[in-house]
Amino acid sequence: MQKKVCMLGGFAVGKTSLVRRFVTSLFSEQYHTTIGVSVEKKALSVDGEDVTLMLWDLYGDDEFQRIRESYLRGSSGYILVVDGTRKETLATALTLQQTVEGLLGPIPFAVIVNKSDVRAEWEVDDAALDELRQRGWSLFLGSAKTGDGVEPLFLTLADRMLRQAV
Amino acid sequence: MSNEPFKTHSFSATAQGLESSKEDWSELRSLLLAPEQSQLDELRERLDNPAIYARDVSRVLPDAFTLRGKGDQHLATALAPFVEEGFAAAVRKSPRAIVDAIAPIMGPAIRQAIVRTLQSMMQSLNYSLEQSLSARGLHWRIEAWRTGRPFAEVVLLHTLRYRVEQVFLIHRETGLLLHHVAADSVAVQDQHVVSGMLAAIQSYVQDSFGASKDQTLDHFQVGEWTVWIEEGSQAFLAGVIQGAPPTTLRQHFRDAMDRIQVQQADALSDFHGDTAPFTATHPYLESCLLAHYEAPPQRRAMGKWILGGVLLFGCAWWGWIAYQSHARWSHFLTQLKTEPGVVVTLAESTLGGYRLEGLRDPLAKDPSTMLIAAGLDPSKITAMWSPYYALHPSLITTRVHSMLQPPKTVTLTLESNILVASGSASVEWARDARHLAPFIPGISGYRDDSLMAISIPDLLLLVNHSVIRFNSGSSIVEPPELAKLQTVMAALRNLDLAASQSGRTVSLEVLGSADETGPETMNLQLSESRAHAVLAAIGGKQFSAATTITTGIDSPFLKQQRGSAGRSADKRIVLLHATLTEPPNTGEAVRP
Ligand SMILES: Nc1nc2c(ncn2[C@@H]2O[C@H](COP(=O)(O)OP(=O)(O)OP(=O)(O)O)[C@@H](O)[C@H]2O)c(=O)[nH]1
Ligand SMILES: [Mg+2]
Repeated sequence: MQKKVCMLGGFAVGKTSLVRRFVTSLFSEQYHTTIGVSVEKKALSVDGEDVTLMLWDLYGDDEFQRIRESYLRGSSGYILVVDGTRKETLATALTLQQTVEGLLGPIPFAVIVNKSDVRAEWEVDDAALDELRQRGWSLFLGSAKTGDGVEPLFLTLADRMLRQAV
Repeated sequence: MSNEPFKTHSFSATAQGLESSKEDWSELRSLLLAPEQSQLDELRERLDNPAIYARDVSRVLPDAFTLRGKGDQHLATALAPFVEEGFAAAVRKSPRAIVDAIAPIMGPAIRQAIVRTLQSMMQSLNYSLEQSLSARGLHWRIEAWRTGRPFAEVVLLHTLRYRVEQVFLIHRETGLLLHHVAADSVAVQDQHVVSGMLAAIQSYVQDSFGASKDQTLDHFQVGEWTVWIEEGSQAFLAGVIQGAPPTTLRQHFRDAMDRIQVQQADALSDFHGDTAPFTATHPYLESCLLAHYEAPPQRRAMGKWILGGVLLFGCAWWGWIAYQSHARWSHFLTQLKTEPGVVVTLAESTLGGYRLEGLRDPLAKDPSTMLIAAGLDPSKITAMWSPYYALHPSLITTRVHSMLQPPKTVTLTLESNILVASGSASVEWARDARHLAPFIPGISGYRDDSLMAISIPDLLLLVNHSVIRFNSGSSIVEPPELAKLQTVMAALRNLDLAASQSGRTVSLEVLGSADETGPETMNLQLSESRAHAVLAAIGGKQFSAATTITTGIDSPFLKQQRGSAGRSADKRIVLLHATLTEPPNTGEAVRP
């Protein structure tokens, strides 16, 4: 079973870093913005079923209107990435979610507030996080740098996508 | 009311009774079934009234179609002929609308087909041009001729080296890899990622250039690899090809894509990430794994080839021309060597032409006219001819004739260097010829024993001394006189011949006379008729235009001249008087 998953979020929130951590267990402090899209693959086993996730790491653009619809099409699920150290990235994620749902319908997704290794610098407060939880969203706090919350994030989404498909 | 039914069973029922029981029945019925009755009526109304019925059916029609259509193919089968008919009618009625409707679909497809065709044409043309000048090209030309295949095809078959290394079948919407094949020993990186990236690129290109859905990335080049993309409606094929693939290979991809689309129509539209059904596409993908191995053609600059070709052609042309002119020259030489009266002592080719030296009899054929007749350019040939007398029989004959100028009555023949004259000629010519002949080059002797020599003065003398005698009072030429006339006529004939050959004219007067007995008028008549009798005996017809004959009466002057006052018998005669007149301004014929 193969599934297409899109990584969405504002620029420099850590989408590429999360994918790389998940796929290769590596992390880099250097920032190279993603141009267009980069596709990665990760094979998983969920409840004894093999799943291959095709991770479409899109470039982050705060002007959500310009998110390329054609990249999103065919996704079975998506991950919204928020940079905990920048509050505005949460707003971006919320708008993106609405856009995507408008385009693709209510497909499974998960949210990660990234850069938990620098929790002290976070602008996103607990109130905001609670608000997200109340929406019933799968919310993760994690870090591409340390790898915290990365595996659960992808596994949860994979599980939800598989259950959806059945 | 309860006893009513019994009434019907009564055997004593009358017609009236029956009537009243019927009314009761209907009353009972209306009492019992009134609400149902109105419902029934309403239902009947609905069934009978087409307007209401149609409205009712229209409500359920779409659902009915859906329901039936889901179950099996019967609905489609049943409707197909009507749909077809309806469509045909619509096309007939308003073709414009149909065209407008299908143009957006057909347009791009047709455009693409045309572009592909042109591309493959261009490609084959390029290859043909490049290869047609090489030695290999020549070899392939022979092969094309031998096998009856078009040359371009043979060239393509030989020159192209390519290998389809991988073929991807990619779900268009998700970019997920449906199936993948790779040629042996090809290092496959990560086909799933490649597939996703290909789909992403496809999307990116489409978005970035604002292209419509049917305008897609068709191929791209990465180093020595070409990636071909063959679009289907829900999936696309991507082939990674090393080298230069022929455009004809496209057809394989197209065919494979078409087949997959037909075979996997359901699996494609229901695709949710399970790629298992697509293993069935393996043979189609594998059919695209084509390869052609051959050392790549040595690509030299096209210009070089053309230059080489032009040079080669130039050389060939020059060679042909040179060969032709040489052939003409040697043909001319052999002709010249066999020509009587021409001796070639030197024949060589110089820088710009040829040089000729030799001997030539002035009476021989002119070599320069032979030159032109042989198709050679006289300006390219310098010739030096020294004159000489050739002893070739034909030239000796020509020379003899030009020197002796024999009259037509003379026949000259050569009997091994001895010139033999026969026939007849004037004494003068016979004398001159006897003098000149031994001096003609090539002649060692002269014989004219069978030549009859005629002397004009002798002939004149013979004619002018002839006297034809008559009996007294008669104008009949007697037999002895006729015999005399024969010799005169022979002389006249020769005279006529000699005169006509030398351009002179002979005038002959036939003069009659009579003795003095009898009246003068009788005598004059007699004289005249005697002259006519002689003329008739001579017969003017046998002479040429050079001889004119007139009749007359012997004049007193002539009588006086003869001074014969004596016998009357001497006066019963006819005299002949011939004179020779020289032609006006005609010089003697030049004799060498
Ligand atoms: N400290 C910290 N830095 C992080 C973390 N994740 C990412 N970064 C850094 O954030 C910067 C941006 O990360 P990327 O992963 O390139 O961000 P992105 O979302 O892919 O950015 P775009 O491709 O431009 O949209 C990089 O310098 C990363 O090193 C994290 O968990 N902790
Ligand atoms: Mg990135």
